[in-house]
Amino acid sequence: MFKKLSLLLILTWSISAQAAVVDELLSSYKSEGAGNFSASNGEALWNKDFPDPKEPGKVRNCSTCHGKNLQAKGKHASTGKVIDPIAPSANKERLTDAKFIEKWFKRNCKWVLGRECTPQEKGDFLTFLRTK
Amino acid sequence: MATPEPAESKHLRILVWDLPTRIFHWFFVLCFTIAWVTSENDRFLYEHIYVGYVFFGLLVFRFLWGWIGSYYALFRSFAYDWPSVTAYLKGLLSGKASRHLGHNPAGGWAIFAMLILGLLVAITGLLVLGGEEGHGPLKGIVSYEIGAAAKEVHEILASTMLFIVFLHISGVVFESLFHKENLIWAMITGFKPASDQVIKVRVYALIAVIMLTAILGSATLYFRGYVTQTDAEPFIPFSSPPLPSNATWLTECGECHLAFHPTLLPARSWQLMMKQQDDHFGDDLSLDEETIKEITEFMVANAAESGLSEAAHKVNSSVPVGKSPQRITETKYWKKKHEEIDDKYWKDKIIKTKTNCGACHLDAKTGWFEDSNMRLPKLVTEK
Repeated sequence: MFKKLSLLLILTWSISAQAAVVDELLSSYKSEGAGNFSASNGEALWNKDFPDPKEPGKVRNCSTCHGKNLQAKGKHASTGKVIDPIAPSANKERLTDAKFIEKWFKRNCKWVLGRECTPQEKGDFLTFLRTK
Repeated sequence: MATPEPAESKHLRILVWDLPTRIFHWFFVLCFTIAWVTSENDRFLYEHIYVGYVFFGLLVFRFLWGWIGSYYALFRSFAYDWPSVTAYLKGLLSGKASRHLGHNPAGGWAIFAMLILGLLVAITGLLVLGGEEGHGPLKGIVSYEIGAAAKEVHEILASTMLFIVFLHISGVVFESLFHKENLIWAMITGFKPASDQVIKVRVYALIAVIMLTAILGSATLYFRGYVTQTDAEPFIPFSSPPLPSNATWLTECGECHLAFHPTLLPARSWQLMMKQQDDHFGDDLSLDEETIKEITEFMVANAAESGLSEAAHKVNSSVPVGKSPQRITETKYWKKKHEEIDDKYWKDKIIKTKTNCGACHLDAKTGWFEDSNMRLPKLVTEK
């Protein structure tokens, strides 16, 4: 009973921590000029292919490293290192660290899109991802 | 000094080589052979070291036994002066060489040469182990440079010993033919044909049992990890205290690949890498100034120049001054160490890239890359 209760407590705490971090990021994106956020736009971005600048004919997208299934583990495209699931439902550490999120947005948007993501794109994506 | 044995009256079979001397002889042969075979590949250093210790232990026994052992094992029973050797060799040429129940004069010299060379081989081996590998009783006492120099001497001495071994074997074969008796078989059974007028020796079974127990017992202790290991937890022969670590380095570098230990490249390489972090092999790492500074400081302080491990020393001396390689795989040392790895390994799914050190090096995460802590994995295509 106590075990269940404490598990529930941790779960609630992590969910609320996620909620606070994401909400704060979303409002800062709005202050940077973004409009209302849409989960379906975020999902579209997740699925969109971008040309691979290094290998003509090939494409890059989010699942190149994270895999098609957000709840499953992914694999780094060049080093092969296993990446823990990106979906917060499968990995409670996700969406709990604003600095971490921003670092990876910058790193991965540049790699996949060839440029940094706009506040609108980032907000759409987080809105999509938090439901997963 | 022994008197030559008259060749007549060989009706009896007399015990000449006691059991401890025979055990010494054949285990010494076995250790020397295994040491040669295992010296071919760093992977077998752990085994090489074990047979080295047994080799050393056997020698210590033999030097004692040369003073307090049975008659034919005593040094004084086969310590001949040089004129006896030349007289014996001349006798061989003229077909009149006398038969010796123990060692003949030339053989005696070969025995002394092998025992002394063996002792020097063992001592230089311990120097290499302590200085270059950072293990064994001389760890921390001998510097890396002395260890590396001792390695050259160790190899020269071992080769010289191999040469004497060949002379010894040739002598044994020649004398066996010359006197029409099987000297190899005599070293196995201990018996030689002789009259009952000669000195007889005892078996010394208790000492033999102690020797065999010591060898078998130490082997069991030393190698038990290979028996108890599982696929999930393979036996890691060498364990050393952890190398310096840093939480930021471990997290930031470890997010995309193995956090390569700073000892694996010179400081100038790491400085350049951190300066170019916005184009890190095609990725913009987007690290903030504070993180860059902390990681750079940690990398520089513990870079190859620190000489914290054997790999550090060897990487550092293999990178030309003025060069700042960005990949460990570009260094001459890495290339040399991996030149014998078949291409099929690099192409296999289980290894995938040359950055996947941990696929073979069981201690890759620790940064040590000890010689014996590696094994080639089962390939996916072979499963």
